Amino acid sequence: MRRRLRKNVRYTFWIIAAGSLLIYAQPGWSFDPADAPETVTIDGLSELYEPVEFNHAQHIEMAACSDCHHHTVGTVSTRWNCIKCHNNPQESDSISCSDCHTKDRFGSSYLATLDDPELFHKEKPGLKGAFHLNCIGCHQDTGGPTGCEDCHIMNEAGRKRFNVGEYAPNRQ
Amino acid sequence: MKKNMINRRSFIKGGFAGAAAASALKNKESKAAGDFDHYPNSMGVLVDVNRCVGCRSCEAACNKEQNLPEPEKPFNDYSVFEEDVHHDDNKHEGGHHGGPRRRTDETRYTVVNKYEVPEIDHPLFRKNQCNHCLEPACLTSCFVKAYTKTPEGAVVYNPDVCVGCRTCMIACPFYIPTFKYSSAFEPRIMKCIFCYDTRLKEGRPPACVEACPQEALHFGKRLDLLDIGRKRIRNNPGKYVDHIYGEHEAGGTNWLYLSPVSFDKVGFDVHVPHEPIINFVRDFLSIVPMVLVIWPALFAGFHLLANKKNANQHDQNEKEA
Amino acid sequence: MKFFAKNKQELPIADHFKTDGSQWTLKEKLLLGLSFTDYRKQFFRNPFNWLIIAIFAVGIPITLQRFIFGLGTVTHASNDYPWGLFLAFGLFTMVPLSASGFMLGTTVELFGRKDFHPVERLALLNGLLGYFFAVVFLQVDLGMPWRLPYPMFVSLGPAAVLFLVAWHVATYLSVQIAEVLPSFFEWIGWLKAKRFIRSMVLGLTVAGIILSTLHQGALGALFTYAPGKLHPLWMSANFQWLHFLCSAVFGGLSMLIVVSTLSKKFLTWRCDKHFLDSLDTLTLGLGKGASFAMITYIAIKFIAIAHDKEWVYLFTGWGQYYLLELSVGVFLPMMLFAFAYKNGQPGLARLAAFITVFGIGWNRINTAIISYNWNLYQEIPHWKEVAITVMIYTLYIVTYRFILYRLPILYEWKGDK
Repeated sequence: MRRRLRKNVRYTFWIIAAGSLLIYAQPGWSFDPADAPETVTIDGLSELYEPVEFNHAQHIEMAACSDCHHHTVGTVSTRWNCIKCHNNPQESDSISCSDCHTKDRFGSSYLATLDDPELFHKEKPGLKGAFHLNCIGCHQDTGGPTGCEDCHIMNEAGRKRFNVGEYAPNRQ
Repeated sequence: MKKNMINRRSFIKGGFAGAAAASALKNKESKAAGDFDHYPNSMGVLVDVNRCVGCRSCEAACNKEQNLPEPEKPFNDYSVFEEDVHHDDNKHEGGHHGGPRRRTDETRYTVVNKYEVPEIDHPLFRKNQCNHCLEPACLTSCFVKAYTKTPEGAVVYNPDVCVGCRTCMIACPFYIPTFKYSSAFEPRIMKCIFCYDTRLKEGRPPACVEACPQEALHFGKRLDLLDIGRKRIRNNPGKYVDHIYGEHEAGGTNWLYLSPVSFDKVGFDVHVPHEPIINFVRDFLSIVPMVLVIWPALFAGFHLLANKKNANQHDQNEKEA
Repeated sequence: MKFFAKNKQELPIADHFKTDGSQWTLKEKLLLGLSFTDYRKQFFRNPFNWLIIAIFAVGIPITLQRFIFGLGTVTHASNDYPWGLFLAFGLFTMVPLSASGFMLGTTVELFGRKDFHPVERLALLNGLLGYFFAVVFLQVDLGMPWRLPYPMFVSLGPAAVLFLVAWHVATYLSVQIAEVLPSFFEWIGWLKAKRFIRSMVLGLTVAGIILSTLHQGALGALFTYAPGKLHPLWMSANFQWLHFLCSAVFGGLSMLIVVSTLSKKFLTWRCDKHFLDSLDTLTLGLGKGASFAMITYIAIKFIAIAHDKEWVYLFTGWGQYYLLELSVGVFLPMMLFAFAYKNGQPGLARLAAFITVFGIGWNRINTAIISYNWNLYQEIPHWKEVAITVMIYTLYIVTYRFILYRLPILYEWKGDK
């Protein structure tokens, strides 16, 4: 009888030990590049442009996760002004840009939230600005596409807005 | 004797007429010299020349929002930046506009201009439109009150009272108001109105701000924008010139600018006075009521002096006769 | 007309009644006492009238084009240069030259200098027509001329300098009409009306001085709205209004000398003996007054430069142009006036007056067009703008002549008055 109990305890101990190794979060453990989607469809500008078929797989080879998904993957910032407060970074549950960056950045309701006197980051860009500021800056340095239609093609409404294609001015 | 009485009576009549005219015109003096506490919660836009990539989305959005005429070239045609607008562009020695510049006209409320600056390896772009001054020169120069500064910050124009005198175009230090010279029967001033009728009244940002992909246009309360601008300069040492254009220029404007290089290199007039334009007119406006009141007495005195000499002469002639 | 005046005893008309006792009808008065055929004959015999017809033939269609197709078709007025010749010449030049009205009104009625009476009416007429045609020029330039009454009755913006100009020009025009009406009433025979207006002459004169001081100054103050756009030498935030007012004083006097000279030369038949005999002395007197105003003007110009510490600009190209304008337009005629007065040479004074009138126009066009936007490109007025300007100025001359031929301005009315 005692021999079987000791055997059960030892067994349970090893199961718990092995399980705990799985449970403890390790850097990068949750965000394995292999888990990342191949492509991401970004259609925030659908009024004027076709959706962007963003080649995520390609970008994984060129940049670290934290280069684009800043503040959300648990890396410590290298900027001195940020570390002052953010010295214990955590991984976020979701790293989608739209979780932090709102679409209607300059609408009166969002602007009203910025009146909070305790709010520090008042100039966090909106979603469209976040995408472009983050992407274009790096593209300019690395020689990636920087023109508007290099990433997203105009749809009909867009062509109308920009007087392009069938909406081009007659006197050319 | 009778002649003198008539003169005095008619003089008093004339004096009253003058005083009546004076009181009608005196009002302008109190309005011009009074203190104006600018609308503290007015909205503005911070334009970041560093962020602008010259995509012209703002021009396109404005064109459609304000129902402006079709442009000459599509909005994604970037050859417009090389356009040479003036007859003889060489005469820009020492001018405040460096290089060829497009300007607003009756078909466009805003334009983006391109500037090549030696210290930066890529061209800089700067959006130009009405700056919606706190004490606009156009408003203070208009004698039919065609301009209004709204509490939301926009300087708007009423074409129903405008007579087409074009003094506002003379007054604006930024050369913004444009006149619809092409129209014979319905000309009017055309300028950016901060999308007041369609958006700003409801608290929404103007079309150009919404369109900008790089958030080079940042919409918010003017006081907050000054904070944000200073913070951006501080947090990015070396990337911005330590000056927010529009903080004090022309007495302060609601559209503010940040630039990576000195402002005259990207088409700004750095000699615009740091006070409202109306300050330069005050010297004259203040003497107006003085003349209206002092002149009658002064010239009555001259007349009495002159008459006295004649009266003396007359008396002398009579005595001698 | 010279021919007819010499040969017919009762011409030129200077009385209500003809020599045989019958009364001149209005039609006869209008036709200068000639038959219609004779009138037409003398009109076409005058080569000046051919020039006038040619100017109108070119100018009228272009003016119509301006009104039907818009300002953009006849001017180079642009968004950088909103004001062109219509305002620079028609308004800013003609108004100071019309200052003779309040100058002579003040001199004769207020200061009691009755010796200037012979030219007083001419000065008043000069003032009235100058202002009236300045308004005509304004109407041609205004984007929406049918809205001219708006700053008075529809939407008032009293804080603006132009508001003062608008109100004053309108009021002053009425004052000037009232001041010229006595000669009209004499001519037409409405003597009660004339006496009524004469009873108000002092009030009208004082009103005239107040209004003129302010709006002459206000036209200068208009440019203080653009402190950065005018060249610093032509711009003085503190004193611009004073420059314009002071130059209006000698501008008006000089224009009066010019007009009286032209009347003496080309309308001799219309002038009476008193006018012709006293004109030389009066010319010298006017010149003397003008020279005082001119030395004052030069002094305040340099005070303004000192006040704004602009001496360094005098050594640039623009500075040399500025000094040229000041010396040829003001200093030279001032010396001529002084010399002429001292040595009793009215001809020299007349020359000085012509130069001064040119100098005023030069200064105003320099201020409004040439030194405006001195940092940008230079704008050259469109030839059509010039054509319309010339045409309207010709219309002014024609109107002037029409009135001078008839009303008792250059001569004393011999009938009841």
